[in-house]
Amino acid sequence: MDTVIDAHDISRIFNPETIPVIAVNHVHLHLERGEFTALVGPSGSGKTTLLNLIGGLDRPDSGSILIDGVDITRLSPNQLINFRLRNIGFVFQSFNLIPVLTAKENVELIMQLQHKNKKEVDERVRSLFEQIGLADKMNERPSKLSGGQQQRVAVARALASKPKFVLADEPTANLDSKSASNLLDIMALLNQEENITFIFSTHDARVIERARRVITLVDGQVHSDTARVETSMQH
Amino acid sequence: MNFILAWRNIWRNKVRSLLIMSSVALGLFAGIFVLALYEGMLRARVRTVIDREVAHLQIHHPRFKDDYDPAFLLGDRDSLLQRLSGVPSVRFTAWRSVTQAMLSTATGSAGVQIFGVLPGEENQVSRLGDKVVEGINLDPAKRNALLVGRKLAEKMKLKLGSKVVLTFTDRDQNITAGAFRVTGIYKTDNTPLDELQVYVNHHTLNEYLAIGHGGHEVAIILNSDKEVESAKQVVQGLFPGQKVMTWKENSPETDYMVTSVDQFSYIIIVIIMIALAFGIINTMLMAVLERTHEIGMLTALGMNRPKVFNLILTETILLTVVGVPVGFLVTWLTVGHFSKAGIDISSFSGAAMSGFGFSSMIYPEFPWRSIPVVMAIVACTALVSALFPSLRAIKLQPADALRL
Repeated sequence: MDTVIDAHDISRIFNPETIPVIAVNHVHLHLERGEFTALVGPSGSGKTTLLNLIGGLDRPDSGSILIDGVDITRLSPNQLINFRLRNIGFVFQSFNLIPVLTAKENVELIMQLQHKNKKEVDERVRSLFEQIGLADKMNERPSKLSGGQQQRVAVARALASKPKFVLADEPTANLDSKSASNLLDIMALLNQEENITFIFSTHDARVIERARRVITLVDGQVHSDTARVETSMQH
Repeated sequence: MNFILAWRNIWRNKVRSLLIMSSVALGLFAGIFVLALYEGMLRARVRTVIDREVAHLQIHHPRFKDDYDPAFLLGDRDSLLQRLSGVPSVRFTAWRSVTQAMLSTATGSAGVQIFGVLPGEENQVSRLGDKVVEGINLDPAKRNALLVGRKLAEKMKLKLGSKVVLTFTDRDQNITAGAFRVTGIYKTDNTPLDELQVYVNHHTLNEYLAIGHGGHEVAIILNSDKEVESAKQVVQGLFPGQKVMTWKENSPETDYMVTSVDQFSYIIIVIIMIALAFGIINTMLMAVLERTHEIGMLTALGMNRPKVFNLILTETILLTVVGVPVGFLVTWLTVGHFSKAGIDISSFSGAAMSGFGFSSMIYPEFPWRSIPVVMAIVACTALVSALFPSLRAIKLQPADALRL
């Protein structure tokens, strides 16, 4: 197997000088390419903070995070932005599509930030929209799409840059069960067919059920780390 | 994509953006209209100075203007005018005698400047006949005819037919005096000159001054305003012993006014734009605050700081410049209308205007020559206004912004 994420002894403490809150406490995390992992735990357990740290959106107070061998804690802010653009895909809880752009433009934006040529952008975008089953909705603004459709576009956007892995923060939290199931099917398919690594933070039993590995956080620490049998993917 | 995103972003809140665009258009309209008014006023003033006061060029004895001594005469009239008629840019000439005098009536006296003129020539050069509002223009047959300005007539209580005595020194420094009768009253847009200058027949003044057919001044009207400097060189070359002066040298206050009013107008536009900049900054700051989460998300996805800065900068510039063509168009149409109809300000500042030599009827002119400066001011406003919101946007930390 091929290591994608190697977080070593990372901690993150908020308000260290007033009322310290230890959000992530000496966590070690090791993820291989192609994993389909759920990060679970009660509210306040540090799931989102841990995702932010391994996604390079926040910096740990101690420890190191190696993504494909690069220690992102040593990168400058600008290097980190560039690193995220080329290596990490994000799916947020509340979709976060840009409302003034069409679904297609939302996906294209990331590739244009990468300075991809128009032909490559067009081909990739068309292929992604076919994969998420929204080829006929490409030119709609997000406001014309349902929550589930918006989240599928968000997945397409996360994959547009061909990232090393995709971080999804509670991706199904705002979806009904049908949309959630549909989204999970797509992500599972992409994981299986394109070997894309997915890491979710979630409370959703449906997501946990589909994950092949479940990491449970309690009070900022890894409480358990369980690998599931392959058959759990077959829904 | 950055441009498209910026363009669509400014239309997220249509009312707010339209208000800012309208403010820019209105501010620009106000600024350019002020410039157009000044342009119209100054052009009219320059026209008056050239056509009715000092002509394009004047020739004097080099020392004449020091203290208007009547002894400092120009050379032979016929020879001088004949040589001038050979200069292609010269259109009209007027031969004048000039002296300082005391005008006395039964009730008082006032210092005046007497112009001894040949009415035919003077009508061509300074349109003297057109200025007469009461009585008639000078008649060479009426030896002691006198033309006075309305302001002087009011001050000295003169009417048509009033008798006055003009006292002055002749070329030999002898005090001499002559009795004159008011045959005409003239009025110009320049009240101070109306109060100062009186006109008599050339041969009459020359008799009193004992200067024969001599003269102190030749006023020259050229074919075009643009030929002033080149014509001065030519005429000065023809008469190296005399002093040739342009209208700018004869009326330096007008030249100074043209320059200083331009600068003053730009200051007004800058002040308007500074006021607008606060509105633009406020709007863009609100836009950035409302989109904190979205900007954080864009940064998270990989939009680097220069691109975020550029996005907000482009939005601010668009917000500013969209109002510009509207402002220009409205101003152009308004100025176009008033350049023909004119704006009569006599009811509230007519006296003050003529006190400075300006007409109370203003015909604004679209200030084309000032447009590059106005555009530069608008561009600076947009850039300065964009700076603060853009810096605010790039300081957002993605993790913090996404939590909001």
